Amino acid sequence: MKALMSVGALIGVVGLLMLIGMIFGVIPSNTVRLVEGYMPMQVLSELAIFVAGFAGLSYLLNSMGVAFPRFWQGILFWVFIQTYLKFRIYPPIPFSVRAMYGTVSFVAVFMWVSANEEDWKKFRQPILNVLDANTGFHKALRTMYLILLPLLIGGFSFLSMKPSVDEPIELRTVHPAPPASTKVHGKTYTLQTSQNPYRVNPEGKYDQEYSNKLIVEQSMGRLMAPNANPWDDKAQGYLKYVREGGEIFFQNCHFCHGDNLNGRGLHAFAFNPIPANFTDPGTIAQLQETFIFWRVAKGGIGLPTEGFPWASVMPPWEQHLTTDEIWKVILFEYWHTGYYPRTWD
Amino acid sequence: MSKFRSNVKPTLAIGAALGAVLFTTIGGGPVFAEELPAGFKAGELAPAPPADMIEAGKRVYFTKCVWCHGVDGAGDGPGADRLWPRPRNFNQGTFKIRHTASGELPLFNYNERAPDSGKNDLFDTVTHGLPGSAMPPWEGILSEEQRVQVLSFVTTQLVKDRKFTDKQESQTILQMGSIKPVEANEESLKKGATLIVDKKCIECHGVEGRGDGNAFNLKDDWGFSIQPANWHKCWNFRGSRQDPYNVRNIFRTFSTGVNGTPMPSFADNTTVEERWDIANFVNSLCERDGDGKPLGIDPQTDKPKINFVVPSAPIEGEISNDPENEMWKKIGRRYIAMGGQITHKPRNFVNRIDDIWVKSLYNEKNVVYLIQWDDRTKSVAEGKLPWAPTQVNVENFGVKEQAPKTGEEGSIASAQNNYAVYNDGIAFQFPIKWQEIPAPFKPRYLWGDAKFNADILKWEADGSLRSFKGTGWDQDFEERDDFEEKAKLLKAEWKNGQWTVMISRPLKGDKDDYDEYTRFDVGKYIPMVFFAWDGHNGDAGRKMAVSAFYYTILQPPIPQEVYIYPAVIAVGVVLLEGWMLTRRANKKKGKVL
Repeated sequence: MKALMSVGALIGVVGLLMLIGMIFGVIPSNTVRLVEGYMPMQVLSELAIFVAGFAGLSYLLNSMGVAFPRFWQGILFWVFIQTYLKFRIYPPIPFSVRAMYGTVSFVAVFMWVSANEEDWKKFRQPILNVLDANTGFHKALRTMYLILLPLLIGGFSFLSMKPSVDEPIELRTVHPAPPASTKVHGKTYTLQTSQNPYRVNPEGKYDQEYSNKLIVEQSMGRLMAPNANPWDDKAQGYLKYVREGGEIFFQNCHFCHGDNLNGRGLHAFAFNPIPANFTDPGTIAQLQETFIFWRVAKGGIGLPTEGFPWASVMPPWEQHLTTDEIWKVILFEYWHTGYYPRTWD
Repeated sequence: MSKFRSNVKPTLAIGAALGAVLFTTIGGGPVFAEELPAGFKAGELAPAPPADMIEAGKRVYFTKCVWCHGVDGAGDGPGADRLWPRPRNFNQGTFKIRHTASGELPLFNYNERAPDSGKNDLFDTVTHGLPGSAMPPWEGILSEEQRVQVLSFVTTQLVKDRKFTDKQESQTILQMGSIKPVEANEESLKKGATLIVDKKCIECHGVEGRGDGNAFNLKDDWGFSIQPANWHKCWNFRGSRQDPYNVRNIFRTFSTGVNGTPMPSFADNTTVEERWDIANFVNSLCERDGDGKPLGIDPQTDKPKINFVVPSAPIEGEISNDPENEMWKKIGRRYIAMGGQITHKPRNFVNRIDDIWVKSLYNEKNVVYLIQWDDRTKSVAEGKLPWAPTQVNVENFGVKEQAPKTGEEGSIASAQNNYAVYNDGIAFQFPIKWQEIPAPFKPRYLWGDAKFNADILKWEADGSLRSFKGTGWDQDFEERDDFEEKAKLLKAEWKNGQWTVMISRPLKGDKDDYDEYTRFDVGKYIPMVFFAWDGHNGDAGRKMAVSAFYYTILQPPIPQEVYIYPAVIAVGVVLLEGWMLTRRANKKKGKVL
C-alpha cells in the first residue's frame, strides 16, 4: 500500500513541478503535447492522474506524521484546478468559461470537505479558530484579514469596473443546418439523394465500400494504404480521381486548409474564423459528402447567419471550379484524412 | 585571416580572434584543419539508409510531399506554380538550412532522431517546417520514424546530381554545441551594428534590415527572384526552427550561408565573436513589445499572437502627425495579420504584405489611425492608371490571378518582380450603420453588402486619400467627395522598407445621424477590416492583402463611478465583518441574536 502511495505521491510531485515549470517558462510548454482531437480525453486523464498523485501525497505525509490540514487541502486543490485550466490548456479558455469551471469545482470541493460531520468539523475548525482569536497568532491573522478583505474586494471591483478593451466573445455555429437542395452551375442537387459521381468501383458504380478500402490508414501519419498509390501510373478510376482532386486541392485549398488538411495553411494565421481542420474528427468525418458539396460550392458568403457569412473568407468555389472539380476535391479530402463520409442511413 | 584548429578546446576557442591567432602560432593539429573556417570541424559522412527504410519513405512521400515537390522531386508538383518561394527542387541536393559549410550537403543521418541536436539538418527542417514558406512543421503529424523514412527516400532517390555517401563529398560541421555565445550586451550590439555595414549585409538587407536593399535583382540558383530576409520579422526566418527569438539560429545561418541563394557564408571573413555580434544585433531588430520583450508567438501558427481589438486612446487638443511625438509613443500598437485575398477572382496567392501595425488616438472631432507596415519597394504607378479609382473589377486591365498550371516559366515565382507596377495602398472599412446591426452581425468583410454598406477610406501611394461607399465585393465603389475634404492624410512616408501612413477622419458626418458615414460612439466596439496593396506585387483591385474582422473602440475616459463604487463596497465588507464577529462572540457566550 505504502509503495503504491509513494508512486502516487511521486507522480503528483513530478506533475506539479512540470506544471509550475511550464507556467514560469522553465520547461517548454509542449513537453507533454496536447494532441488535437484527443485533447478533452487527455485533459481528463491528466487531471485524474493528478488527483491520484495528490491522494498518494496526502497519504504519505499522513504516515510521516506531517498531516496536511483538510482546510488547506480543499483550498489548494481548487487553486490547482484554476491554475491548470488557465495555463495548461491551449488555445486559452475565456475567463467566463473558466469562471464556470471555477464554480463547479468549488461546489465539488465543498461537497468533498463536507461529506460527513467529522470532515466538515475539521474543515471549518481553522476558520473558527481565526474568528475566535484565542491565541496571539490567530489574533494577528484575524486583524490582517479584517484589513485585507475590504481592500482586496474593493480592489477587485475597481479592476472589474474599469473600462477594458477585451475582445468580445462571439460564438459561431461551425456546422449550420444545410438547405434541402442547392443549385450549382445551373443544376439543382438534392442533398439527401445526391452522390459523389467519382466515388465509384471499377465497374463505374457508386460504391463507398470499395473506396473505403483504398483511403489512407487511420494511424500516425495517415499514410496511403499499401498498393493504393494515386500517383501510380496504372491508377485508374477512384484512385485516379483522388489524384486529380489532390491536384486541385494543392492549387486552391491548401493556402488555408494546409498541406496536411489540418487548417494550418499559409494564410490561415490571418483569418478568423480559422480554416476548418479536416483531420479533426469533428469536421468532415461528421458530415455527409453532399453537405461538404454545398459548403464548398457556396462558400462563406453562402452560410446562414449563425455561421457568420460576413467573416468567413471561404470562397464560393462555384466561382473558381467546375462541379466535377468540386466533387473530386471532396473525394481527395476524405481519402487524405482517412475518414468515411457519413451516409444518410 | 584567423582560423581555428579543429583540436582547439571550445572553452578556449570562445576567446575569439585574439585566442585564435595565439593558437595558430603555437601550431600542431592536422594540416587540413588550417583551411577550416572558425568554429567548424571536419565530420564524417553518415551511413546510407537501409533499403526498407527508403521503401517506407516512398509511401510517406507519395502521401504527403508529392503534391508540391513533384513525382521526381524537382519541385514541380501540382501546387508548385502558385507558390512563391517555389517548393524545393531536390535534384541538385541544394538545401538552405544547414550546419555544414557553404555548398556542402546538409547533415542527414537516419540514426539521429533527437530534434534540434544540430546533427540532422533535414530532420529538423521537416520537423519544424520553413516559416514564411508553404512548408509546414510535420512534427505531430508524421512520427519521428516516418520523418526519417521520407528523408531516406528523398536523399537517396530524389537528390540526383550528388550522393550523400559519395566520398567526394565533405561535411564540415559548425560546432554549435561547443561554441559559447557572446552575451547580447550593449557593446556586442554596437559592434554588430557597425559590422552589418562593414560586411555589406545592408546592401541586400537594407539600412534598417527590412530586406529592402537590392530588392529586385536577386535570383536563386534556378533563376527565380528571391527576397532578402526582413530582420524585423524573425518568425518568418526559414531557419527559425519555431524558436524565432533564439539568436543561435541566426548565428548558424550567418555562419553556413543559405545554399542556392545569394546569401553567402560569412565563416571565412568573420571571427566567431564577430558573428555573434552580428547575430545579436540582427536578433535585437526583431519586433518586440513595449517593454522590449519578445512578442508572444502563437504555437498553432508560429506567428505573433493576435488581439482583435484596436483601441483608440482619448487625447485633448490637436493630434500630432509625428509618430515620434510623446502622445503616440506612450500608447501601445496592435499587430494586424494580413492574408492574401483568396475568396474572389483575382485571388492573391502571394501577398507580400503579411502584417501591419496600428495605433490610434482620438479627440473631440477626429479619430486618427497610424499605420506602419514593411514593404520592400515603394511603388507608384507611372502615369495615370487605366481604371477609375472607384472601379474594383479590374481584371480586364491585366490584373489577373496566377493560372494553376503553367510550368516553371509562367509560374508565380517567375512572375515576381515582372509585374506592371501599380500604387502601394492601404485602406480600412467600418460598417456605416453598425448601430443598427447587433453584434456579432456585420456587413461582409469584403467591402460590405447590398443591405449594409461599408464606409471605406483608401490611401494610395500617388498621395490620394479617398472616401468610398462599398456595397459588395464586386460592386464598384461610390466616391464621396464631401467627406474627402474632412478626412485628412496627416503623413505618408516610405523609408528604408517601411511605410508610415497616418489618416485622420471625423468622428461623424456633418449631421448627427449615421445614414451616410460611420459615426464613432465612445466606448462601443466598431468592426474594422484592413486592406493593403503592394504595387510591385501587381496588387490592384481585389488582388490585395486583407485582414480578418477587428474591432476598434474609442476608449472612454474613466468615469467617476469607477472610483466611488469600489469604496462603497469596501465599507460594506467592513460592516459585514463587524456583524459576523459580533454574532460569533454572542454565540460563544450562548446568546442567540
